Amino acid sequence: MPQAEYVPQSKVPLPPPDAEVFTTCCDYCIVACGYKVYRWPVGKEGGPKASENALGADYPVPASSGKWISPNMHNIVLVDGKEHHVIVIPDAESKVVNVGGTHSIRGGCIAQKCYNPNTLTKDRLQYPQIRVGDKLVRTSWEDAIEIMAEVSKYVLENYGENAWAQKQFSYQYFENTYALTKLAFRHIETLAFAFHDNPSNAEDTPGWRDMGYDNFAAAYEDFSLADTLFISGTDPYETKTVLFQSWIMKGVEERGTKLIYALPRKTTGVAFAESRGGLYLDLIPGTDTVLHMAIIRVILENGWEDKEWIEKFTASKWEQDSGFGRGIRDTGWQWRTTWGKLQGNDFSQYREWLLSQKEAELDEAERITGVSREKIVKAAEMMARPRPDGTRPKTTLGMEKGNYWSNNYLNTASLGMLAVCCGAGNRPGQMLARLGGHQRGGITGGLYNIAKSPEKYPGRRRKPLDLDRWVEAGHVRFAYVVGCTWTTAMTGSQFLANTLEKFTRDNPHQLTSTDKDAAIETFKKRVDSGGMMLVHQDIYLRKPIGSIIADIVLPAATWGEADFARANGERRLRLYSKFYDPPGESKPDWQIVAMFAKAMGFDGFDWKESNDVFEEAARFTRGSRKDYLPLVWLAKNKGVKSHDLLRAYGTHGIQGPIRYQDGELIGTKRLHDATVQLPDTGPQGPTIHSKIMSAFNTQSGKINIQKSPWSLFADFYEWQRPKEEDGELWVTNGRVNEIWQSGFDDIERRPYIIDRWPANFLEIHPDDAKARGIESGDELRVYSDRVPVQVSSFQGVRGAGKPDGDLSFTTLMEEGHIKLASGSVTAVAMVTPAVKKGVSFMFNLDTKEPANSLAPRVPDPLSDNYRYKLGVGKVEKTGESPYKNSFGQMSFGRRDLVGESDGADANT
Amino acid sequence: MQEVHAAPTDRPCLSRRRFLLASGGATVTTLFLASQFSKTGIGEELLAEVAEFERKKVATLSDLKVDTPVPIFYPFDATDLNSLNFIVKLGEEASGGVGPDSDIVAFNTLCTHVGGDLSKTEKTYMKDYKILGPCPLHLTTFDLRRHGMVVAGHATQSLPQLVLEVDGNDIYATGILGLIYGKCNNAELPPVI
Repeated sequence: MPQAEYVPQSKVPLPPPDAEVFTTCCDYCIVACGYKVYRWPVGKEGGPKASENALGADYPVPASSGKWISPNMHNIVLVDGKEHHVIVIPDAESKVVNVGGTHSIRGGCIAQKCYNPNTLTKDRLQYPQIRVGDKLVRTSWEDAIEIMAEVSKYVLENYGENAWAQKQFSYQYFENTYALTKLAFRHIETLAFAFHDNPSNAEDTPGWRDMGYDNFAAAYEDFSLADTLFISGTDPYETKTVLFQSWIMKGVEERGTKLIYALPRKTTGVAFAESRGGLYLDLIPGTDTVLHMAIIRVILENGWEDKEWIEKFTASKWEQDSGFGRGIRDTGWQWRTTWGKLQGNDFSQYREWLLSQKEAELDEAERITGVSREKIVKAAEMMARPRPDGTRPKTTLGMEKGNYWSNNYLNTASLGMLAVCCGAGNRPGQMLARLGGHQRGGITGGLYNIAKSPEKYPGRRRKPLDLDRWVEAGHVRFAYVVGCTWTTAMTGSQFLANTLEKFTRDNPHQLTSTDKDAAIETFKKRVDSGGMMLVHQDIYLRKPIGSIIADIVLPAATWGEADFARANGERRLRLYSKFYDPPGESKPDWQIVAMFAKAMGFDGFDWKESNDVFEEAARFTRGSRKDYLPLVWLAKNKGVKSHDLLRAYGTHGIQGPIRYQDGELIGTKRLHDATVQLPDTGPQGPTIHSKIMSAFNTQSGKINIQKSPWSLFADFYEWQRPKEEDGELWVTNGRVNEIWQSGFDDIERRPYIIDRWPANFLEIHPDDAKARGIESGDELRVYSDRVPVQVSSFQGVRGAGKPDGDLSFTTLMEEGHIKLASGSVTAVAMVTPAVKKGVSFMFNLDTKEPANSLAPRVPDPLSDNYRYKLGVGKVEKTGESPYKNSFGQMSFGRRDLVGESDGADANT
Repeated sequence: MQEVHAAPTDRPCLSRRRFLLASGGATVTTLFLASQFSKTGIGEELLAEVAEFERKKVATLSDLKVDTPVPIFYPFDATDLNSLNFIVKLGEEASGGVGPDSDIVAFNTLCTHVGGDLSKTEKTYMKDYKILGPCPLHLTTFDLRRHGMVVAGHATQSLPQLVLEVDGNDIYATGILGLIYGKCNNAELPPVI
């Protein structure tokens, strides 16, 4: 029988009045709530009277006080080797983000993230290790770094820069991402590079980029100012929790905001929306483009589009082609707009095109999306129909992975056009936004020189290199993997893991001792025999990338263990304070990179502390949405460290781009803001009044019109969609509130979260469950023998009857560039009408049972993003899980309940 | 430091009798709650730090009707708003359930997220699902069959559950699992108003 891991507590220690206080933010999701850390030595405690504790609160405290300390907010850490209590609590004084100190389950438990040898964090990586035979054994920093540097130099000399790969988190603090990309791009000059969630250095939302929309232009306040909020591919109640609690619910309560959700699965936020006059568009996975186009058609047929706004803020044909034309030479942007399939000359031509598309007609749209025509019409009315007095509803549109990770280019372009019809994107309460995943902690410290990429679009335009396919083709000899799993986070996970194992563990050249010189020689032999050396750098040993595949494993220090800076989903920059010792010999990633780079002979890595990297990186943010150069400039003028100046802004922080004006730093509430007031006297000091502050991000400052022909996707979709006759279901995947951008330390190490989700699960509709004899709590095998994996074709297909460089799914399949792999995972059944019939849903990043194993590894040829959410498989019962008839762990409760007024069964 | 339990076989499992013998006063003890929090009575235990209080009669077995929650105060009386709980006969077996059907459970009524009021059970008790919620503040829900575990929402611990025992027709509360919202110590006496 499963035992509960979590030990309920009866009390929590209070910080005494003299406890030290640090400000930080939650380490996890994009929203980045502000937190305070109270720290004091073990041996004393504060009392329940306000005068007796550092929070100045009388206990018991009332509801929403922001002063209640849950037992999960307490931990014990080492400071200079001595035990200290820490309380990590949402900042009750916060006026932004998590106003008044509300929090998510993840942030509320973040104190448990701290290393404490008496908790499940005891397996934090503490020393460099090297694999000898089958075992990882401890080695010194000096030896580990020298081996890496010598093998790297050998690889660069003999196999070129693209044989040296880097796979890394894009988000884990400015200082670290800057150092990593400075090494990869400015010094190594490799193109074999990808972030944690993408096979290549691709754009997340290329449709929006091409149109001129920034992903994170909105302010959180905009979500409380809208009359209608269209949310696609995510439920921010589950993910972006505090954006929902503090801002979206505020709009619903105060001004009656109506929420529209487009999702195949219903969770709490959707049920809440329905109970408050909102709408649930229960679409079949992957059909968003058709849904968007059908809504647009209803708007256009009724003349509900925002004509005045469109006239003012969308580009004409001549404006689109002015200057350098449609995009920078040699980029996907130019390619995507050159042959007219995606390029709309202007809005009137777009209207003509849209009205000629069969998929946009209600009958066809209903058939493809599974959403009733009544709902499609209703959505159009709620978003764009003017009121009797002629005023328009303020509509904001937000979306996330379920949308752009199923049909990347077309979904983003068509959603962008829906925003255009609503006049959304540049004013309060009328914005288009990614709701976001990880926080925005990326600064690129060099140029990704796409002109040298071996991969290209039709014609001569280069395309970022697909690292997964590049590895599979045997071109990588050294891989530096930092802060990510690589395999489980990519599609076709098992296939990719097998590939990496083949080039490392299955190679005959393996170490037999820790001897440094012998190791260097062995790795050179491995490299010459077609193999690869792989280094993994992280806070825990990951499966399988660290535990099985890596040759060297390096321990990183993280949140709370060094000072770091980062921005959230409304571009708010804050300082994340160090408040305890990093475990063992672990070091912040930037410091490890510096050691590695110096050993390779590169200059410019002589940083002494985190602040040095932060200051150097500032100039690489100029003109961007997180431009903080004025902050660094002001700090230098004041003679203080930039980190300390940012720290002075506490949990409030300051929104990028940051401007300097008359002795002060001024943040930017939203981008593309037609209402923004910039000083007539022009920018002061190092300030840049970049175009994105007041206009769209195109050469004309106006929106470029993009089309979204379904035919570019339809062949893949037809092949991929579940074949009911074979018993297949969609096995789509996503996140749950309890594990959201926090899986890298909570899913295996936080007792309360382990009890909630001890195993991966599969939500399945009651009809589909009944047909397979499945009940909640049963153990399932979820599998597919037709996971498509593109293994080759970097330049498209040429030949008889093919346009030059054809990248269509049909052609790639015909020409043998796609192999069929198999994937199989186990899950515990949760039978619920919250998923649409024919659709099942799994948590996507379970390290033991990665749902991505069933997701197709054929990227969108328009943008190189994976279609993560379009997994397909068969589901069968293998027995009963231990959770079915016991109560210690896991709940099978429905997640779409909002009480008596909910529409819980309305869609079943 | 928080105590982490070793493999269950490494330490003695306190029997029901030992648990009772160990109680008395408002002391805090780390215990395995065996028979009470087990479906089968063997093999499944819940380790908890339980604030034990004076054994107090909170309900009468024969008065409880299925799916009809009844408010009770524990550990203190009605002068302490944080002591407001409810007891309910779920009609389905539950973790910590007492009575002939092991289905009588009692929980605190303050949401362990930010203290929302869950006491209006005519609205918050979802009989079809044996779930309490949603919290009127941020919609958190709790699974009453699984020791008050969060189903969906934001609380960082389960809804505090009362340790119950049955003596004839009387139901007694003897302790609480989990810190009650607002308090820093379950055993702290309420301030004098």
